Amino acid sequence: MIPFARHDPFENMAIDEALFRMHQQERQPPVLRFYGWKRPAVTLGYFQDVDDELNYAYCRDSGIPIVRRPTGGKAVLHGCDLTYSLVAGERSSLFSADVVETYRIISGCIIRGLAVAGIDAHMVEEGRRGTPPGEGFCFATSYRHELLAGGKKICGSAQMRARGVFLQHGSVLVDLDPLAVCSAIGKTGDIQKRAREITAVVTSVRETVGDAVGMDDLCRGLAAGFEEVLHVRLAEGDLSPEEDALKEKLLADKYRRDEWNLKGWSAQRGS
Amino acid sequence: MSFPDDLMYSSEHTWARIDGDIATVGITDYAQDKLEEILSVELHPVDSSVEQGEPFGVIESVKATTELISPVSGEIVGVNEDLADDVGILNSDAYDTGWMIAVQIRDAGELDTLMDAEEYEDYIEASEEDD
Repeated sequence: MIPFARHDPFENMAIDEALFRMHQQERQPPVLRFYGWKRPAVTLGYFQDVDDELNYAYCRDSGIPIVRRPTGGKAVLHGCDLTYSLVAGERSSLFSADVVETYRIISGCIIRGLAVAGIDAHMVEEGRRGTPPGEGFCFATSYRHELLAGGKKICGSAQMRARGVFLQHGSVLVDLDPLAVCSAIGKTGDIQKRAREITAVVTSVRETVGDAVGMDDLCRGLAAGFEEVLHVRLAEGDLSPEEDALKEKLLADKYRRDEWNLKGWSAQRGS
Repeated sequence: MSFPDDLMYSSEHTWARIDGDIATVGITDYAQDKLEEILSVELHPVDSSVEQGEPFGVIESVKATTELISPVSGEIVGVNEDLADDVGILNSDAYDTGWMIAVQIRDAGELDTLMDAEEYEDYIEASEEDD
């Protein structure tokens, strides 16, 4: 386990892909990493379109960097969340080759972890709870095995898979600023109205239990949840020198580059 | 679920239909079934090279992106442009209209490492038992 630390937004994605690639090469063990963001940032899902999903001008003028994730899913405004990444073999004894089953297992760990921290959460049992207010916003839609607290989504997640290894990203909302979310994500329009709609379907640790649970409590709780549910003991560690070198390469070649982060953006194409 | 006898299969759930030195490549019925609803696909362009066991694109299904792993090495000489208009054909017709790329094979010896339909079915069964 790599304990909580705040990083530059581009670095966060480069670290996660480095962990994923090194595990693919069987050079590092499975890893659970908790992290935060040195400054607010938007992450986009691998296939999301900047034109369709973001208010680019708002992000640029507000100094909010945009970084594309290697995982799928929808956009997230980070800054008031606890983000985790989990890298493991899909055929390890702990998880599954099946995407949905892996979500279910990990969600079970997080439910237990949130309970340790004093938050009562449960899984969406079936299908998709689609909501109209922000189609491109991760938290506006709840899929099977995602997590709700008080009937509202509190944790979003997305996966990438390749050659028998998966990377799952997840974000537990510690606080929610619906106006900031609707300003950065989704098309412009009636931001106040969309913010009200978001508030109706999305919650946060703060809304659920007030200020009683801090980031440290959450991290401790979630780590305990994974240990209890998976019957494992997490050992604290950090990036290996090989992982760190790969992270630097991915930063330079991919995650600091507009060709990746703004892929397909019409203004970048000059149209 | 079907596994046509005229195709060769990789452990990464891609198939290759060999015609001379050209391999047409796609994902298997098993893969599309496991991915469930496929939403998008991004393929490496014509004239780029691929290596056996390395990615030639990425597929997005509900809640996951998955790298597509090439069963052969060579130059990409064709990409199925129809997928851009209707990616759903990967779910409905993975072996024909849902083909993905055509590759000019660089090393025919690599084909020996692929499985025939019967071997692939056994491989899937063994994988399912492991779960």
